[in-house]
Amino acid sequence: MTAVFAVWEGLSRGWGVDHPLLLWLLPLALLPLVATAFRRRGIPSATLVPDDPLSRAMAAGLRAAGTFAILALVLGIAGLHRREQSVQREGNGAHLVLLLDRSSSMDNSFADRAPTGDQESKSAAAKRLLAEFVARRPHDRIAVAAFSTSPMPVLPLTDHHEVVQAAIDAIDRPGLAFTDVGRGLALAFSYFADDTAEASRAVLLVSDGAALIDRRVQDALRDAAARTPVHLYWLFLRSRGARGIYDVPASGDDTAQANPERHLHLFLQSLGVPYRAFEATSPQAVAEAITEIDRQETQPIRYIERIPRRDLAHPAFLIAGLAVVLLLAAKLAERRLRPAAASSATPAANPAKPSPAGPAPATDPRRAA
Amino acid sequence: MRSASHESRGLGRDWRFWLLLVALVAILAALFAPRIVRIGNVRDLLLVVDVTGSMNVRDATLAGAPATRLAAAKRGARDVLAGLPCGSRMGLGIFTERRSFLLFAPAEVCENFAAIAGSLDGLDWRMAWEGDSYVARGVHGALAMAGGLDADLVFMTDGHEAPPLANGELPAFDGRPGEVAGLLVGVGGSDPSPIPKFDQDGREVGFYTEQDVPQENRIGPPPADAASRAGWNPRNAPWGGEPATGTEHLSSMREAHLRALASQTGLGFLALGSGGGLLAAVEADTRARPVEMRVDIAAIPAALALFCLALLFGLGATTSRRPERLPTR
Repeated sequence: MTAVFAVWEGLSRGWGVDHPLLLWLLPLALLPLVATAFRRRGIPSATLVPDDPLSRAMAAGLRAAGTFAILALVLGIAGLHRREQSVQREGNGAHLVLLLDRSSSMDNSFADRAPTGDQESKSAAAKRLLAEFVARRPHDRIAVAAFSTSPMPVLPLTDHHEVVQAAIDAIDRPGLAFTDVGRGLALAFSYFADDTAEASRAVLLVSDGAALIDRRVQDALRDAAARTPVHLYWLFLRSRGARGIYDVPASGDDTAQANPERHLHLFLQSLGVPYRAFEATSPQAVAEAITEIDRQETQPIRYIERIPRRDLAHPAFLIAGLAVVLLLAAKLAERRLRPAAASSATPAANPAKPSPAGPAPATDPRRAA
Repeated sequence: MRSASHESRGLGRDWRFWLLLVALVAILAALFAPRIVRIGNVRDLLLVVDVTGSMNVRDATLAGAPATRLAAAKRGARDVLAGLPCGSRMGLGIFTERRSFLLFAPAEVCENFAAIAGSLDGLDWRMAWEGDSYVARGVHGALAMAGGLDADLVFMTDGHEAPPLANGELPAFDGRPGEVAGLLVGVGGSDPSPIPKFDQDGREVGFYTEQDVPQENRIGPPPADAASRAGWNPRNAPWGGEPATGTEHLSSMREAHLRALASQTGLGFLALGSGGGLLAAVEADTRARPVEMRVDIAAIPAALALFCLALLFGLGATTSRRPERLPTR
């Protein structure tokens, strides 16, 4: 019983029909087993017909043709199709969380002014370059999270890059007030909490500034980093005049309050996960950094390739057509039995012998017997 | 003799032959049937969900059990997502404070269903960045955003303004009413219910009390009747000397306010009930984008072929099966 169930399960996973109710017409396919497309005629004695294996095979074949024609037609009308299948393949890529800063300072240009004329705002540059980055990495599973005053999950890990591009499209909209990097990072780590796939995991933080990270959030991040091995990339869009992450200020000034970027960098270094920071002061530098990340994140990954649904109505109709052609050919070759009295000119002719012209059993002998 | 031979040579075919021939012709027609082009209607939607504190009120029902308004809104949004025909696009935004914030631009709903549904599931009051809830301004902003995205707006909110509107008047709407079509969906019950309060770690710690929330909007000029209030002083106490009292700490779905807002902006309005109807309302109030869909009509001639074969074998099976009754000549 379970075996039957398993077979049904397997069938219904791989195959499907659009209109299952039409499958109730399938019993019609039994009709050709009890009826024939040929004239039926009685003969006086069954001994007139020699037992001919070829004729029997022909009869069975023609019945099968009728059955197949009806089966194929019903399945075709019901919309038989092979369901969308997914195949695991190996490629290069990663599971990637894009953690995007949506604070309003991202709307300024790299010169930290409202962009004018041919200048590009930091968010517009990030949007353009990230869109290209995602387009170059077809096998990645990508999630998107945003942070500003609060962290916001935008998209779960997904293979569908159209919606990822739609989320990247949204980042040059006017942003919010603050930059809460810490909770944003915690959110990004949480995406990998139930991701058990053996893929390279990376978090790409794109921001133009940093802020203090609450000590409790720091602890939570250390925990998360210890639990989930990720690669961390920070693409720091540095405005002109802003302090860099590598600048060591004069002693005494080196506090997290005065240099949040540098201290975020130090904190991320201390997390114990592979980490790289890219300081980009222009759209070109952003492009170079993204190319570098693209180059780094090329671990082998198992990704799911979808094979689209294949409609089988057309092949089904083709089979039905061939079966009907067979029946029709047999029908064309059908010959009438002529009683000996009516055809006295050829008394020797065996009326039941299949005509040499065609495969038609003129009348099924067993019917009449 | 002559006529018999004539018949067997093919002119006098019997009905079975003709049924088979019709079936074959019909199957050939099904094989070579062109796909006809039909104009189908898809929608481009921007869904904006209110995630302010009042959406945590548990006066909605979900599968017979009380649920927060946000949960009911998410459920409704998911139903809309599932009900939209393929080719439709949906984007998502959240509303708090006075702005609608775009999470992602409209994307095709069938191909990206899992991601969009996951994103809807992820909506949470913790995404809110401020406690204020200027719903009317949020709707105005969302309309501008939807216009820029060339989509129609579906805005799900309970209509609870916090702080309350000055003099109860709607802020002016800059856009042209009806320029962006769409629907305001009112979420929540009509009876005032307490609003859950959370501490800074996100734990629920009771409900808002009367003193926790501004009961009156004291920004801008005071109302006309202020002079009659106790303790009124034009310079020192222009709103009167007493703290404002009221029921702003209780929340109900403000249907009158939402209807006024809907008529100001040219949107439709629907109170999200426990039953369906949301998808129908969305379809009624948003613009349909016609797309060409190719429809396969092969099933029609194929059905004719099936009918012919069923008739052929059916008649054969139902006529007498007794050999001695068969004609012998």
